Amino acid sequence: MKAWDEFIKGFWSENPIFRLVLGLCPTLAVTTSAENGLAMGFASTFVLVCSNTVISSMRRFVPKKVRIPAYIVAIATFVTIVDLVMNGYFHALHKSLGLFIPLIVVNCIILGRAEAFASKNPVWVAIIDGFGMGFGFTVSLIVIGAIREVIGNGTIFNVSIFGDGYLPLLLMILPPGAFIVLGVLLGLMNKVEIAMAERSGRQPIIRREHDCASCTIHTKWFDFSEKEKPTVE
Amino acid sequence: MKEIIRLCFVLTLITAVSAGVLAYVNQQTAEPIARALLEEKMSAVRSVLPPYDNEPDKDMITIMIEGGDSIEVYRGRKDGTVTGAAFAIVASDGYSGDIEFMIGVDGEGVMQGLMVLKHLETPGLGAKIESEDFRGQYSGKSLENTELWEVTRDGGTFIPITGATISSRAITKTSAKGLKLFREHKAEIFEEGEVQE
Repeated sequence: MKAWDEFIKGFWSENPIFRLVLGLCPTLAVTTSAENGLAMGFASTFVLVCSNTVISSMRRFVPKKVRIPAYIVAIATFVTIVDLVMNGYFHALHKSLGLFIPLIVVNCIILGRAEAFASKNPVWVAIIDGFGMGFGFTVSLIVIGAIREVIGNGTIFNVSIFGDGYLPLLLMILPPGAFIVLGVLLGLMNKVEIAMAERSGRQPIIRREHDCASCTIHTKWFDFSEKEKPTVE
Repeated sequence: MKEIIRLCFVLTLITAVSAGVLAYVNQQTAEPIARALLEEKMSAVRSVLPPYDNEPDKDMITIMIEGGDSIEVYRGRKDGTVTGAAFAIVASDGYSGDIEFMIGVDGEGVMQGLMVLKHLETPGLGAKIESEDFRGQYSGKSLENTELWEVTRDGGTFIPITGATISSRAITKTSAKGLKLFREHKAEIFEEGEVQE
């Protein structure tokens, strides 16, 4: 059951975009269509899984002082591989994602998972975490991309749904549309989370005390023993 | 001191492995990438040339133009005679960045087609220069039959994309430049008209 929990947390309770609010640069920039969101999601997932695997397996050999450069080198290597392979075999997709493929290197989700999770968990857990986070990221990108594409262009995955009579709301494809969709979705997700938590009688994730000490990244990094762990009730 | 050496050693090891892996991947993908880039260009060439029966990718000549630049001209032939040419031109007055596009011209200097190769225009607005509706209106136009190579707003005949007059204007004006270039170098392009490779 633990494996499933590690996987599904990326979708809801620790969704990289809507909960951790990480990796917003590619999120806002490439989600002009559902297809771009899907491609970006897959590319990031691949890098995330590979970097989690490598970083987790070398966690005992890398001295703490040079861990960040070591992570970045590993991540950059995988991003470059994705960039080259995509350019050669999926040229059209590579063209539409353009600059954002190399920029996966600086995507906070990937370094964040390396630092907060992969570097202190066994390899198989880190791999599941990579898949889960990648899955959550991909689904989120597709949803944002689909909404923007439908309203801003009248199509979804390049298939016209409203017919020729539809006058697209261009704003949604332009940069402001990304902020609007992200904000509305984030708000809706919080609303649903509160309703769900009330029904099951638990503390909603977003109502929990939020400071650096209770942040999951922080607690996991500093490895509090059970009794000094900050309470999240 | 000992620690520094250890840190250096670990980092060097990691970067060396990384370099090795990347060198291998780079070597493996070099050919597919080159092929994809060429195919992209050639599909544009094929779509803008007048009817031809040769292989335009093997029939390329380089033409020197003013300013020391050169352009690559791909020739289409029918029964061995050059019927038209395709070449890429760059509009540097787009809305954001250069717009590179391929135009095809027949022996009379009439434009046969236009294909956008590279641009950074706004998605949903300027990016529509790639649409058939916009590109199509250039086919059949020449310097002779069209007096003013301008968009309608500037008194010309080309209908710009709504909300993207700058991108449309850049394409229109640069196309005219391309046609002039063709006219000046027509003799060169058609020179070896009888020679079949």
